Amino acid sequence: MSIISDIYSQFYAAFDRTFLVDDRYQIFLHGIRNTLIITAGALVVGVIIGVALAVAKVYYYQTGPFSYKESFKNFLKTKRPIFLGHIFQKLLDQLITCYLILFRGTPVVVQLMIWAFVVFSTTNELIVAILGFGINSGAYVAEIVRAGIMAVDKGQTEAGRSLGLSAWQTMWHIVLPQAFKNVLPALGNELIALLKETSIVGYIAVVDLTKAAALVRARTFDAFVPLLCVALAYLLMVFLLSIIQQFIEKRLQASDRR
Amino acid sequence: MTETNDSSVVIQVKGLRKSFGDHEVLCGIDETIHKGEKVVIIGPSGSGKSTFLRCLNLLEIPTQGQIWIHGQEITGPKCDVDSLRQRMGMVFQHFNLFPHMTILENITLAPICKKGMTKTEAINKAKKLLDRIGLSEKADTYPNMLSGGQKQRVAIVRALAMDPDVMLFDEPTSALDPEMVGEVLNLMKELAVSGMTMAVVTHEMGFAREVGTRVLFMDSGIILEQNKPDEFFANPKHPRLKDFLSKVL
Repeated sequence: MSIISDIYSQFYAAFDRTFLVDDRYQIFLHGIRNTLIITAGALVVGVIIGVALAVAKVYYYQTGPFSYKESFKNFLKTKRPIFLGHIFQKLLDQLITCYLILFRGTPVVVQLMIWAFVVFSTTNELIVAILGFGINSGAYVAEIVRAGIMAVDKGQTEAGRSLGLSAWQTMWHIVLPQAFKNVLPALGNELIALLKETSIVGYIAVVDLTKAAALVRARTFDAFVPLLCVALAYLLMVFLLSIIQQFIEKRLQASDRR
Repeated sequence: MTETNDSSVVIQVKGLRKSFGDHEVLCGIDETIHKGEKVVIIGPSGSGKSTFLRCLNLLEIPTQGQIWIHGQEITGPKCDVDSLRQRMGMVFQHFNLFPHMTILENITLAPICKKGMTKTEAINKAKKLLDRIGLSEKADTYPNMLSGGQKQRVAIVRALAMDPDVMLFDEPTSALDPEMVGEVLNLMKELAVSGMTMAVVTHEMGFAREVGTRVLFMDSGIILEQNKPDEFFANPKHPRLKDFLSKVL
Protein backbone atom coordinates (compact mmCIF):
# COMPACT_ATOMS: atom_id res chain seq x y z
CA MET A 1 0.00 0.00 0.00
CA SER A 2 2.64 2.44 0.99
CA ILE A 3 4.48 2.01 -2.31
CA ILE A 4 1.39 2.86 -4.27
CA SER A 5 0.56 5.86 -2.19
CA ASP A 6 4.18 6.88 -2.45
CA ILE A 7 4.05 6.80 -6.24
CA TYR A 8 0.75 8.60 -6.15
CA SER A 9 1.98 11.40 -3.97
CA GLN A 10 5.13 11.77 -6.07
CA PHE A 11 3.08 11.90 -9.24
CA TYR A 12 0.74 14.38 -7.67
CA ALA A 13 3.62 16.59 -6.67
CA ALA A 14 5.03 16.45 -10.21
CA PHE A 15 1.61 17.20 -11.65
CA ASP A 16 1.25 20.10 -9.24
CA ARG A 17 4.62 21.50 -10.22
CA THR A 18 3.99 21.06 -13.93
CA PHE A 19 0.52 22.49 -14.16
CA LEU A 20 -0.60 24.32 -11.07
CA VAL A 21 2.33 26.17 -9.57
CA ASP A 22 2.56 29.68 -11.04
CA ASP A 23 -0.50 28.82 -13.19
CA ARG A 24 1.76 26.91 -15.56
CA TYR A 25 -1.26 25.25 -17.21
CA GLN A 26 -1.69 28.54 -18.99
CA ILE A 27 1.54 27.99 -20.89
CA PHE A 28 0.14 24.68 -22.09
CA LEU A 29 -3.17 26.24 -23.09
CA HIS A 30 -1.30 28.94 -24.96
CA GLY A 31 0.75 26.18 -26.63
CA ILE A 32 -2.30 24.19 -27.70
CA ARG A 33 -3.84 27.35 -29.06
CA ASN A 34 -0.78 28.07 -31.18
CA THR A 35 -0.51 24.47 -32.35
CA LEU A 36 -4.13 24.55 -33.53
CA ILE A 37 -3.83 27.99 -35.13
CA ILE A 38 -0.72 27.00 -37.06
CA THR A 39 -2.23 23.68 -38.15
CA ALA A 40 -5.52 25.21 -39.27
CA GLY A 41 -3.84 28.15 -41.00
CA ALA A 42 -1.30 25.94 -42.74
CA LEU A 43 -4.08 23.58 -43.83
CA VAL A 44 -5.96 26.43 -45.50
CA VAL A 45 -2.82 27.80 -47.17
CA GLY A 46 -1.71 24.28 -48.16
CA VAL A 47 -5.05 23.29 -49.67
CA ILE A 48 -5.37 26.54 -51.64
CA ILE A 49 -1.84 26.22 -53.00
CA GLY A 50 -2.21 22.48 -53.56
CA VAL A 51 -5.49 22.66 -55.47
CA ALA A 52 -4.29 25.58 -57.59
CA LEU A 53 -1.04 23.84 -58.52
CA ALA A 54 -2.75 20.51 -59.18
CA VAL A 55 -5.33 22.12 -61.47
CA ALA A 56 -2.62 24.03 -63.33
CA LYS A 57 -0.55 20.89 -63.79
CA VAL A 58 -3.47 18.74 -64.93
CA TYR A 59 -4.67 21.46 -67.30
CA TYR A 60 -1.22 21.67 -68.86
CA TYR A 61 -1.10 17.94 -69.52
CA GLN A 62 -4.66 17.88 -70.85
CA THR A 63 -4.08 20.66 -73.35
CA GLY A 64 -0.37 20.16 -73.96
CA PRO A 65 2.35 19.29 -73.48
CA PHE A 66 3.91 22.03 -75.55
CA SER A 67 7.44 22.83 -76.59
CA TYR A 68 8.89 26.33 -76.38
CA LYS A 69 10.39 26.14 -79.85
CA GLU A 70 7.24 24.89 -81.61
CA SER A 71 4.97 27.33 -79.79
CA PHE A 72 7.24 30.25 -80.56
CA LYS A 73 7.47 29.26 -84.22
CA ASN A 74 3.70 28.89 -84.42
CA PHE A 75 3.25 32.28 -82.80
CA LEU A 76 5.58 33.97 -85.28
CA LYS A 77 3.78 32.22 -88.11
CA THR A 78 0.17 32.83 -87.09
CA LYS A 79 0.42 35.70 -84.58
CA ARG A 80 -2.28 33.99 -82.53
CA PRO A 81 -1.94 34.79 -78.79
CA ILE A 82 -2.91 31.23 -77.88
CA PHE A 83 0.65 30.14 -78.68
CA LEU A 84 2.07 32.68 -76.24
CA GLY A 85 -0.37 31.12 -73.77
CA HIS A 86 1.20 27.74 -74.47
CA ILE A 87 4.64 29.15 -73.71
CA PHE A 88 3.34 30.63 -70.47
CA GLN A 89 1.65 27.33 -69.56
CA LYS A 90 4.85 25.38 -70.09
CA LEU A 91 6.82 27.90 -68.04
CA LEU A 92 4.25 27.70 -65.25
CA ASP A 93 4.34 23.90 -65.28
CA GLN A 94 8.12 23.93 -64.96
CA LEU A 95 7.99 26.46 -62.13
CA ILE A 96 5.51 24.24 -60.30
CA THR A 97 7.78 21.25 -60.77
CA CYS A 98 10.64 23.27 -59.26
CA TYR A 99 8.42 24.20 -56.33
CA LEU A 100 7.59 20.56 -55.70
CA ILE A 101 11.23 19.50 -55.86
CA LEU A 102 12.34 22.34 -53.59
CA PHE A 103 9.73 21.99 -50.84
CA ARG A 104 9.49 18.23 -50.80
CA GLY A 105 13.23 17.87 -51.00
CA THR A 106 14.30 19.89 -47.96
CA PRO A 107 13.41 19.43 -44.28
CA VAL A 108 10.55 21.56 -43.08
CA VAL A 109 12.59 22.78 -40.07
CA VAL A 110 15.21 24.18 -42.40
CA GLN A 111 12.54 25.82 -44.57
CA LEU A 112 10.93 27.30 -41.48
CA MET A 113 14.20 28.78 -40.20
CA ILE A 114 14.97 30.20 -43.62
CA TRP A 115 11.55 31.90 -43.68
CA ALA A 116 11.93 33.18 -40.13
CA PHE A 117 15.57 34.25 -40.04
CA VAL A 118 16.49 34.91 -43.67
CA VAL A 119 13.38 36.04 -45.50
CA PHE A 120 11.13 37.70 -42.95
CA SER A 121 13.45 38.48 -40.08
CA THR A 122 11.11 40.79 -38.17
CA THR A 123 7.49 39.83 -38.68
CA ASN A 124 5.11 37.93 -36.49
CA GLU A 125 6.49 34.39 -36.01
CA LEU A 126 3.05 32.83 -35.87
CA ILE A 127 2.25 34.08 -39.36
CA VAL A 128 5.66 32.98 -40.58
CA ALA A 129 4.94 29.53 -39.16
CA ILE A 130 1.54 29.34 -40.86
CA LEU A 131 3.06 30.38 -44.19
CA GLY A 132 6.07 28.11 -43.78
CA PHE A 133 4.04 25.01 -43.00
CA GLY A 134 1.34 25.95 -45.53
CA ILE A 135 3.82 26.37 -48.37
CA ASN A 136 5.48 23.10 -47.45
CA SER A 137 2.21 21.25 -47.12
CA GLY A 138 0.97 22.76 -50.41
CA ALA A 139 3.62 20.78 -52.26
CA TYR A 140 2.32 17.51 -50.84
CA VAL A 141 -1.34 18.45 -51.23
CA ALA A 142 -0.68 19.36 -54.88
CA GLU A 143 0.44 15.84 -55.66
CA ILE A 144 -2.42 14.31 -53.68
CA VAL A 145 -5.03 16.43 -55.44
CA ARG A 146 -3.42 15.84 -58.83
CA ALA A 147 -3.76 12.11 -58.33
CA GLY A 148 -7.39 12.64 -57.31
CA ILE A 149 -8.19 14.72 -60.38
CA MET A 150 -6.55 12.24 -62.71
CA ALA A 151 -8.60 9.44 -61.18
CA VAL A 152 -11.85 11.13 -62.27
CA ASP A 153 -13.06 9.61 -65.54
CA LYS A 154 -12.30 11.72 -68.60
CA GLY A 155 -15.89 11.27 -69.70
CA GLN A 156 -16.96 13.54 -66.84
CA THR A 157 -14.99 16.45 -68.27
CA GLU A 158 -16.30 15.69 -71.75
CA ALA A 159 -19.88 15.62 -70.51
CA GLY A 160 -19.41 18.96 -68.77
CA ARG A 161 -17.79 20.60 -71.78
CA SER A 162 -20.38 19.17 -74.17
CA LEU A 163 -23.09 20.91 -72.15
CA GLY A 164 -21.32 24.18 -72.80
CA LEU A 165 -19.67 24.62 -69.41
CA SER A 166 -16.26 26.28 -69.53
CA ALA A 167 -13.12 24.38 -68.55
CA TRP A 168 -13.13 26.17 -65.22
CA GLN A 169 -16.83 25.51 -64.48
CA THR A 170 -16.35 21.86 -65.38
CA MET A 171 -13.38 21.64 -63.04
CA TRP A 172 -15.18 23.38 -60.18
CA HIS A 173 -18.62 21.79 -60.37
CA ILE A 174 -17.83 18.35 -61.75
CA VAL A 175 -14.22 17.23 -61.42
CA LEU A 176 -13.02 18.75 -58.14
CA PRO A 177 -15.92 17.47 -55.97
CA GLN A 178 -15.28 13.95 -57.22
CA ALA A 179 -11.53 14.36 -56.85
CA PHE A 180 -11.99 15.63 -53.30
CA LYS A 181 -13.90 12.51 -52.41
CA ASN A 182 -11.13 10.38 -53.91
CA VAL A 183 -8.39 12.09 -51.94
CA LEU A 184 -10.05 12.61 -48.58
CA PRO A 185 -8.18 9.72 -46.86
CA ALA A 186 -4.85 10.97 -48.18
CA LEU A 187 -5.68 14.54 -47.19
CA GLY A 188 -6.54 13.30 -43.70
CA ASN A 189 -3.09 11.72 -43.53
CA GLU A 190 -1.51 14.98 -44.60
CA LEU A 191 -3.44 16.94 -41.99
CA ILE A 192 -2.43 14.56 -39.22
CA ALA A 193 1.20 14.72 -40.31
CA LEU A 194 0.95 18.51 -40.43
CA LEU A 195 -0.44 18.72 -36.90
CA LYS A 196 2.42 16.67 -35.52
CA GLU A 197 5.03 18.43 -37.65
CA THR A 198 4.12 21.76 -36.07
CA SER A 199 5.90 20.49 -32.94
CA ILE A 200 9.12 21.91 -34.37
CA VAL A 201 8.03 25.57 -34.41
CA GLY A 202 9.96 26.00 -31.19
CA TYR A 203 12.93 26.45 -33.51
CA ILE A 204 11.60 29.84 -34.56
CA ALA A 205 10.56 30.85 -31.05
CA VAL A 206 6.86 30.13 -31.31
CA VAL A 207 5.50 28.59 -28.11
CA ASP A 208 3.43 25.65 -29.27
CA LEU A 209 2.43 22.64 -27.20
CA THR A 210 5.84 20.96 -27.45
CA LYS A 211 7.71 24.15 -26.69
CA ALA A 212 5.43 24.74 -23.71
CA ALA A 213 6.42 21.36 -22.32
CA ALA A 214 10.08 22.18 -22.85
CA LEU A 215 9.73 25.51 -21.06
CA VAL A 216 8.02 23.96 -18.07
CA ARG A 217 10.45 21.06 -18.00
CA ALA A 218 13.33 23.52 -17.78
CA ARG A 219 11.70 25.09 -14.73
CA THR A 220 10.68 21.94 -12.85
CA PHE A 221 13.46 19.56 -13.91
CA ASP A 222 10.74 16.97 -14.41
CA ALA A 223 10.42 15.47 -17.88
CA PHE A 224 7.97 12.67 -17.22
CA VAL A 225 4.69 14.50 -16.63
CA PRO A 226 4.93 17.32 -19.20
CA LEU A 227 6.12 15.11 -22.03
CA LEU A 228 3.60 12.39 -21.38
CA CYS A 229 0.77 14.86 -21.07
CA VAL A 230 1.82 16.57 -24.29
CA ALA A 231 1.98 13.22 -26.09
CA LEU A 232 -1.50 12.46 -24.82
CA ALA A 233 -2.75 15.85 -25.99
CA TYR A 234 -1.41 15.27 -29.53
CA LEU A 235 -2.96 11.82 -29.53
CA LEU A 236 -6.35 13.24 -28.57
CA MET A 237 -6.20 15.93 -31.23
CA VAL A 238 -5.26 13.42 -33.92
CA PHE A 239 -8.01 11.12 -32.73
CA LEU A 240 -10.51 13.95 -33.01
CA LEU A 241 -9.31 14.77 -36.52
CA SER A 242 -9.74 11.20 -37.66
CA ILE A 243 -13.27 11.17 -36.31
CA ILE A 244 -14.07 14.35 -38.23
CA GLN A 245 -12.53 12.79 -41.32
CA GLN A 246 -14.68 9.67 -40.97
CA PHE A 247 -17.74 11.84 -40.55
CA ILE A 248 -17.05 13.77 -43.76
CA GLU A 249 -16.29 10.56 -45.64
CA LYS A 250 -19.61 9.11 -44.54
CA ARG A 251 -21.47 12.18 -45.70
CA LEU A 252 -19.77 12.12 -49.08
CA GLN A 253 -20.76 8.50 -49.51
CA ALA A 254 -24.41 9.50 -49.90
CA SER A 255 -24.13 9.11 -53.69
CA ASP A 256 -22.58 5.62 -53.37
CA ARG A 257 -25.58 4.03 -51.72
CA ARG A 258 -27.56 1.73 -53.92
CA MET B 1 -16.87 33.43 -92.07
CA THR B 2 -20.01 31.82 -93.37
CA GLU B 3 -19.34 29.14 -95.91
CA THR B 4 -22.95 29.02 -97.08
CA ASN B 5 -25.88 31.32 -96.63
CA ASP B 6 -28.36 28.49 -96.72
CA SER B 7 -30.00 28.80 -93.30
CA SER B 8 -31.20 25.20 -93.37
CA VAL B 9 -27.61 23.99 -93.06
CA VAL B 10 -26.86 23.13 -89.44
CA ILE B 11 -23.48 21.45 -89.72
CA GLN B 12 -21.01 21.75 -92.52
CA VAL B 13 -17.72 19.90 -92.61
CA LYS B 14 -14.96 20.46 -95.12
CA GLY B 15 -11.76 18.44 -95.53
CA LEU B 16 -11.81 17.20 -91.97
CA ARG B 17 -8.72 15.26 -90.95
CA LYS B 18 -7.69 13.97 -87.55
CA SER B 19 -4.55 12.10 -86.57
CA PHE B 20 -3.50 10.65 -83.26
CA GLY B 21 0.28 10.67 -83.51
CA ASP B 22 1.15 8.96 -86.79
CA HIS B 23 -2.19 7.25 -87.04
CA GLU B 24 -4.66 9.07 -89.24
CA VAL B 25 -8.19 8.33 -88.05
CA LEU B 26 -10.12 10.70 -90.29
CA CYS B 27 -8.75 11.10 -93.79
CA GLY B 28 -10.69 13.96 -95.28
CA ILE B 29 -14.41 14.19 -94.64
CA ASP B 30 -16.86 16.51 -96.36
CA GLU B 31 -20.39 16.47 -95.08
CA THR B 32 -23.38 18.74 -94.74
CA ILE B 33 -26.21 18.14 -92.32
CA HIS B 34 -29.45 20.07 -92.81
CA LYS B 35 -32.04 21.09 -90.30
CA GLY B 36 -34.30 18.22 -89.26
CA GLU B 37 -32.12 15.53 -90.77
CA LYS B 38 -31.46 12.35 -88.83
CA VAL B 39 -28.08 11.19 -90.03
CA VAL B 40 -27.06 7.73 -88.89
CA ILE B 41 -23.39 6.84 -89.10
CA ILE B 42 -22.44 3.18 -89.19
CA GLY B 43 -19.22 1.34 -89.82
CA PRO B 44 -16.79 -1.16 -88.33
CA SER B 45 -15.03 -0.29 -85.09
CA GLY B 46 -11.97 1.86 -85.62
CA SER B 47 -13.44 3.39 -88.75
CA GLY B 48 -13.45 6.85 -87.18
CA LYS B 49 -17.19 7.36 -86.73
CA SER B 50 -16.97 8.32 -83.05
CA THR B 51 -14.00 10.58 -83.73
CA PHE B 52 -15.97 12.26 -86.51
CA LEU B 53 -18.88 12.90 -84.17
CA ARG B 54 -16.58 14.17 -81.41
CA CYS B 55 -14.92 16.58 -83.83
CA LEU B 56 -18.31 18.19 -84.49
CA ASN B 57 -18.41 19.75 -81.02
CA LEU B 58 -14.65 19.98 -80.73
CA LEU B 59 -14.21 17.31 -78.07
CA GLU B 60 -11.48 16.28 -80.49
CA ILE B 61 -9.52 19.07 -82.13
CA PRO B 62 -9.29 18.42 -85.87
CA THR B 63 -5.80 18.25 -87.29
CA GLN B 64 -7.00 19.85 -90.51
CA GLY B 65 -10.19 21.06 -92.10
CA GLN B 66 -13.08 23.29 -91.15
CA ILE B 67 -16.41 22.83 -89.43
CA TRP B 68 -19.28 25.33 -89.44
CA ILE B 69 -22.17 25.13 -87.03
CA HIS B 70 -25.03 27.43 -88.01
CA GLY B 71 -22.60 29.21 -90.29
CA GLN B 72 -20.12 29.91 -87.52
CA GLU B 73 -16.72 28.35 -87.97
CA ILE B 74 -16.19 26.31 -84.83
CA THR B 75 -12.61 25.52 -85.87
CA GLY B 76 -11.84 29.20 -86.38
CA PRO B 77 -9.65 31.21 -84.03
CA LYS B 78 -12.31 33.52 -82.63
CA CYS B 79 -15.15 31.09 -82.10
CA ASP B 80 -16.91 30.97 -78.76
CA VAL B 81 -16.89 27.20 -78.53
CA ASP B 82 -18.75 27.03 -75.21
CA SER B 83 -21.76 28.91 -76.50
CA LEU B 84 -21.92 26.80 -79.67
CA ARG B 85 -21.72 23.64 -77.58
CA GLN B 86 -24.76 24.78 -75.63
CA ARG B 87 -26.74 24.42 -78.83
CA MET B 88 -25.44 20.92 -79.53
CA GLY B 89 -26.41 18.22 -77.09
CA MET B 90 -24.20 15.17 -76.83
CA VAL B 91 -25.03 11.72 -75.52
CA PHE B 92 -22.22 9.34 -74.68
CA GLN B 93 -21.84 5.57 -74.74
CA HIS B 94 -21.13 5.48 -71.02
CA PHE B 95 -23.79 8.05 -70.07
CA ASN B 96 -21.31 10.20 -68.12
CA LEU B 97 -23.86 11.34 -65.58
CA PHE B 98 -22.26 13.21 -62.68
CA PRO B 99 -22.21 10.63 -59.86
CA HIS B 100 -21.93 13.16 -57.03
CA MET B 101 -25.10 15.01 -58.04
CA THR B 102 -28.72 13.97 -57.85
CA ILE B 103 -30.62 13.40 -61.08
CA LEU B 104 -32.22 16.82 -60.72
CA GLU B 105 -28.86 18.51 -60.12
CA ASN B 106 -27.42 16.70 -63.15
CA ILE B 107 -30.11 18.23 -65.32
CA THR B 108 -30.16 21.73 -63.80
CA LEU B 109 -26.39 22.35 -63.58
CA ALA B 110 -25.81 23.61 -67.10
CA PRO B 111 -29.04 25.64 -67.43
CA ILE B 112 -28.25 27.45 -64.18
CA CYS B 113 -24.57 27.99 -65.01
CA LYS B 114 -24.98 28.88 -68.66
CA LYS B 115 -28.47 30.02 -69.50
CA GLY B 116 -28.88 32.30 -66.51
CA MET B 117 -31.96 30.41 -65.36
CA THR B 118 -32.93 30.76 -61.74
CA LYS B 119 -32.86 27.61 -59.68
CA THR B 120 -36.65 27.34 -59.60
CA GLU B 121 -37.00 27.79 -63.35
CA ALA B 122 -34.36 25.16 -64.00
CA ILE B 123 -35.93 22.74 -61.53
CA ASN B 124 -39.38 23.19 -63.06
CA LYS B 125 -38.01 22.55 -66.47
CA ALA B 126 -36.04 19.51 -65.30
CA LYS B 127 -39.14 18.10 -63.64
CA LYS B 128 -41.13 18.49 -66.84
CA LEU B 129 -38.41 16.68 -68.75
CA LEU B 130 -38.24 13.90 -66.17
CA ASP B 131 -42.00 13.60 -66.36
CA ARG B 132 -41.74 13.09 -70.07
CA ILE B 133 -39.47 10.07 -69.59
CA GLY B 134 -41.43 8.79 -66.60
CA LEU B 135 -38.64 9.20 -64.06
CA SER B 136 -40.05 11.99 -61.89
CA GLU B 137 -39.86 9.93 -58.75
CA LYS B 138 -36.09 9.48 -59.29
CA ALA B 139 -35.39 13.24 -59.23
CA ASP B 140 -33.67 13.24 -55.86
CA THR B 141 -31.76 9.98 -56.16
CA TYR B 142 -28.19 9.57 -57.36
CA PRO B 143 -27.25 8.15 -60.76
CA ASN B 144 -25.93 4.86 -59.46
CA MET B 145 -29.39 3.93 -58.24
CA LEU B 146 -30.67 3.88 -61.83
CA SER B 147 -30.50 1.12 -64.41
CA GLY B 148 -28.40 1.64 -67.52
CA GLY B 149 -31.41 2.47 -69.63
CA GLN B 150 -32.68 4.98 -67.10
CA LYS B 151 -29.23 6.58 -66.88
CA GLN B 152 -29.05 7.01 -70.61
CA ARG B 153 -32.52 8.51 -70.78
CA VAL B 154 -31.54 10.96 -68.04
CA ALA B 155 -28.39 11.78 -70.00
CA ILE B 156 -30.50 12.55 -73.07
CA VAL B 157 -32.82 14.74 -71.03
CA ARG B 158 -29.83 16.50 -69.45
CA ALA B 159 -28.69 17.49 -72.93
CA LEU B 160 -32.23 18.53 -73.87
CA ALA B 161 -32.44 20.87 -70.88
CA MET B 162 -30.15 23.25 -72.77
CA ASP B 163 -32.63 23.42 -75.68
CA PRO B 164 -30.10 22.31 -78.26
CA ASP B 165 -30.99 22.36 -81.92
CA VAL B 166 -28.71 19.45 -82.78
CA MET B 167 -28.21 16.23 -80.85
CA LEU B 168 -25.13 14.07 -81.26
CA PHE B 169 -25.38 10.46 -80.13
CA ASP B 170 -22.18 8.47 -79.71
CA GLU B 171 -23.20 4.79 -79.57
CA PRO B 172 -25.94 5.53 -77.04
CA THR B 173 -27.05 1.91 -76.66
CA SER B 174 -23.74 0.04 -76.89
CA ALA B 175 -23.17 -0.16 -73.13
CA LEU B 176 -26.72 -1.24 -72.30
CA ASP B 177 -28.19 -4.60 -71.44
CA PRO B 178 -30.19 -5.81 -74.44
CA GLU B 179 -33.50 -5.44 -72.65
CA MET B 180 -32.83 -1.75 -72.00
CA VAL B 181 -31.92 -0.80 -75.53
CA GLY B 182 -35.58 -0.41 -76.50
CA GLU B 183 -36.46 2.31 -74.00
CA VAL B 184 -33.53 4.46 -75.09
CA LEU B 185 -34.24 3.98 -78.79
CA ASN B 186 -37.88 4.86 -78.19
CA LEU B 187 -36.92 8.14 -76.57
CA MET B 188 -34.62 8.87 -79.50
CA LYS B 189 -37.44 8.09 -81.91
CA GLU B 190 -39.73 10.48 -80.06
CA LEU B 191 -37.05 13.11 -80.35
CA ALA B 192 -36.68 12.43 -84.07
CA VAL B 193 -40.41 12.76 -84.60
CA SER B 194 -40.39 16.11 -82.78
CA GLY B 195 -38.12 17.41 -85.53
CA MET B 196 -34.74 17.45 -83.80
CA THR B 197 -31.67 17.43 -86.02
CA MET B 198 -29.72 14.33 -85.07
CA ALA B 199 -26.39 12.69 -85.84
CA VAL B 200 -26.26 9.17 -84.47
CA VAL B 201 -23.33 6.77 -84.38
CA THR B 202 -24.81 3.36 -83.72
CA HIS B 203 -24.78 -0.35 -84.40
CA GLU B 204 -28.58 -0.54 -84.31
CA MET B 205 -29.41 -1.19 -87.95
CA GLY B 206 -33.13 -1.31 -87.20
CA PHE B 207 -32.95 2.23 -85.83
CA ALA B 208 -30.95 3.41 -88.82
CA ARG B 209 -33.52 2.00 -91.19
CA GLU B 210 -36.56 3.21 -89.30
CA VAL B 211 -35.54 6.65 -88.05
CA GLY B 212 -32.64 7.75 -90.24
CA THR B 213 -33.22 10.10 -93.13
CA ARG B 214 -29.73 9.36 -94.40
CA VAL B 215 -27.23 6.65 -93.55
CA LEU B 216 -23.48 7.10 -93.84
CA PHE B 217 -21.05 4.22 -94.01
CA MET B 218 -17.57 5.01 -92.73
CA ASP B 219 -14.50 2.87 -93.15
CA SER B 220 -10.84 3.70 -92.49
CA GLY B 221 -11.49 7.37 -91.95
CA ILE B 222 -13.63 8.24 -94.95
CA ILE B 223 -17.32 8.16 -95.83
CA LEU B 224 -17.44 5.32 -98.32
CA GLU B 225 -21.10 5.43 -99.16
CA GLN B 226 -24.24 7.27 -98.18
CA ASN B 227 -27.85 7.00 -99.16
CA LYS B 228 -31.45 7.06 -98.01
CA PRO B 229 -31.97 4.14 -95.62
CA ASP B 230 -34.16 1.99 -97.92
CA GLU B 231 -31.75 2.24 -100.79
CA PHE B 232 -28.74 1.96 -98.48
CA PHE B 233 -29.75 -1.37 -97.00
CA ALA B 234 -31.50 -2.85 -100.03
CA ASN B 235 -28.96 -1.86 -102.58
CA PRO B 236 -25.44 -1.33 -101.17
CA LYS B 237 -22.91 -0.53 -103.87
CA HIS B 238 -19.46 -0.59 -102.34
CA PRO B 239 -18.09 -4.12 -101.76
CA ARG B 240 -16.85 -3.07 -98.31
CA LEU B 241 -20.37 -2.03 -97.33
CA LYS B 242 -21.87 -5.22 -98.80
CA ASP B 243 -19.41 -7.24 -96.75
CA PHE B 244 -20.19 -5.20 -93.59
CA LEU B 245 -23.96 -5.48 -93.99
CA SER B 246 -23.76 -9.23 -94.65
CA LYS B 247 -22.10 -9.56 -91.26
CA VAL B 248 -24.36 -7.35 -89.19
CA LEU B 249 -27.79 -7.91 -90.69
